[in-house]
Parts: sequence; C-alpha cells; structure tokens
Amino acid sequence: MKLNRRILGVGAVLTLPLVGVLVAALGRDLTVRSPLVGRAAPAFSLVPAGGGAPIGTADLRGKPAVVNFWATWCVPCYQEHGVLTRGAAELRGRVTFVGVVYEDSEENVTRFAREQGASYPSLLDPDGRTAIAYGIFGVPETYFLDANGTIVSKYVGPLSEARLAFELEKAGVRR
Amino acid sequence: MKRAAVLVALLAAGAPGGVLAQDAPAPLDPAPIVGAPKGPPLAGAALDAATHEVAAVLRCPVCQGLSVADSPTDLARNMKRQVREMLAAGYDREQALAYFEASYGEFVRLQPPLRGVNWLVWAAPALGLLAGGFVVARALRRSAAPGEPRTVAAAPVDDPALEPYLLRVRELAYGWPGGRRPAPTADRQE
Repeated sequence: MKLNRRILGVGAVLTLPLVGVLVAALGRDLTVRSPLVGRAAPAFSLVPAGGGAPIGTADLRGKPAVVNFWATWCVPCYQEHGVLTRGAAELRGRVTFVGVVYEDSEENVTRFAREQGASYPSLLDPDGRTAIAYGIFGVPETYFLDANGTIVSKYVGPLSEARLAFELEKAGVRR
Repeated sequence: MKRAAVLVALLAAGAPGGVLAQDAPAPLDPAPIVGAPKGPPLAGAALDAATHEVAAVLRCPVCQGLSVADSPTDLARNMKRQVREMLAAGYDREQALAYFEASYGEFVRLQPPLRGVNWLVWAAPALGLLAGGFVVARALRRSAAPGEPRTVAAAPVDDPALEPYLLRVRELAYGWPGGRRPAPTADRQE
C-alpha cells in the first residue's frame, strides 16, 4: 500500500504537468504567428504579370497596402478573388492592392485575369524569394501594411468582405 | 530575372546591403536582417556540404515534419538555393538559419536553439535518463543487500490462527529458535 502510494505520487508528478499543458492549449489558437507583424515589410521589387515596370515596396509607401499571395491553382484564392477585386476598386486611391504570384506561371495568371477580371496588378516571384521573405506557408495569405510600410497583420486563408474590412481597419483604413 | 542576376552577383561578391543605386535597400538582401557576412565565402565541395547541413536543420514550411534537404517541393528547392547563395556569399550557417527565422519564426528550425524554454527540450532527456538511472541503481542496491534473509521468511503473519504453524516451519527451515529471526538482525524487520 505504501509503495503504491509512492508510485501514484511519481506518476502524478510526471503526468499532471502534461495534462496541464494539454488543458492550457485547448481552445487556444495554435497557428504560427508571423514574426513579421510589427516590422517593416520585407523589400521587394517585382515585374507584374503581363509586363510593365517593376512594382515594389517603395511604391506601397504613403498609403495602407494589401499584399495578397495567391496562385491560380489555389481554390480558396478563387473564393476571395471577388472580394479583393471589388475591395481594390472601391478603395482605389486610398489603399494599394498588389498580388504576388506563388509558384505559378505568368501565362496562367494573365489568363486568369482575362477570365475572372482584375483591378490590381499581380507580381511575378519566379524564384520564390519574396514568398520566402514574407514567410509564406501556402496560399492564400495576405499581409496588411500601414502607410509607413509596417506590417500590421497577416491573414491566412480566403478573405471575406467583413474580414477584409476588419483587417484594413487595423492598417488605418476607415470605412 | 535581371534583378535576380544582379542579386546573385551581389551575393557572390559578398557585398553588403544598400549597394544598389536606389533609395530603398536592395530587394531581399539578407544583410539588413542578419548583418554583414561573418564567415569566409564557401565554394565547391565545402559549399555543397554546408548547404546540405543547413538545409537538413531547416523545416520545409509546406511539408509535414520534413527538412528542406529532404523535401522535393518548389518552396524547399527555392529555400535551399537561397541557403547556398548566402553561404557562397560568406554568410555563416547561423546567419542563414536566422534569415529564414526572421520570416517564418523559430518554427522553421528543426533543432530548437538553446534559449528560453527550449532548454527544457534539450535537458529533459538527460534529466529523465539520470532519474531512471537513479531508480534502477537504488533497486539494484536493495536487492543485492548482503546478509538479508528472504523478506517473505521474516514477514509478519497475516492470520493469527496460522502463526504457530508458520513459526514452526521457520524454525525447521532456518533453524531460528521459536521461528523468530535471531537478535542481530531482528530490529531490521520490514
């Protein structure tokens, strides 16, 4: 009986902390937060799909900006495409929208823009440097920058109208 | 593409950031993030080996528990190429890892660095081994204690009705007078 109690004690010492960690983690958001939030957006300068002068972080200064990483092979990107094109059209002059193409071809992107419509440029990132600098895990992922070029938030997954408005508010855009 | 070529040339020359004739820093130059290159520029077999070494401890962000060295995805290939370029430009291994950590967080390292709570991760196996060794050593010492009669033979009798018989058996078996253990060890009863 004495021994059993001791084994019970040792077992409790070993398992209770683990159970505690489990319970503490329940219902907690376990997605990896971007270490870039609160820091200056990594500099890039990329050529838009369909040609034209390179567009870069320098062009995003002065206004809040939305940097959306996407690909034509990504189904959730189709879902949010309408939200983003409408948002960019409505907020023209107040917010700069750019897409960055993730692991996709220029041909696919220009065809997609022709068929689905586009209201802002999509930039080509052929060797994935920009995606890596922004810590992209998959698409769609969207960064929101304030007028100073500081990243104020990152959203993973397809954006809804409400979510876009919510994240833009953090970047200093009032409805 | 031209820009990439310029960047590669810059990296190969081991040039620090901000050399491009622009107001903004050179796009995606690692120097503003990890500082000037600390090591010698690597080439040839040494570069291959170092690239693999870093890629092996870098997590492929789009895979399930695979390193960049082991993953066939485009992203992992691109990351490996960037590791190679950084090492060729003279950035050391830690700087290469720190560059990816800046954008992906500590998650991107397959080996958690020795800092903060991570100490637990590294120390726990050693502590567990020590604790286990202590338990085993104690158990071994106990079972090998010299001069100790079988504990069953000295155990108290559960049923008082059986006691006289048990004592008689012990007297016959061990030669203990009255079936009780002789004085020198009698005080060590369990």
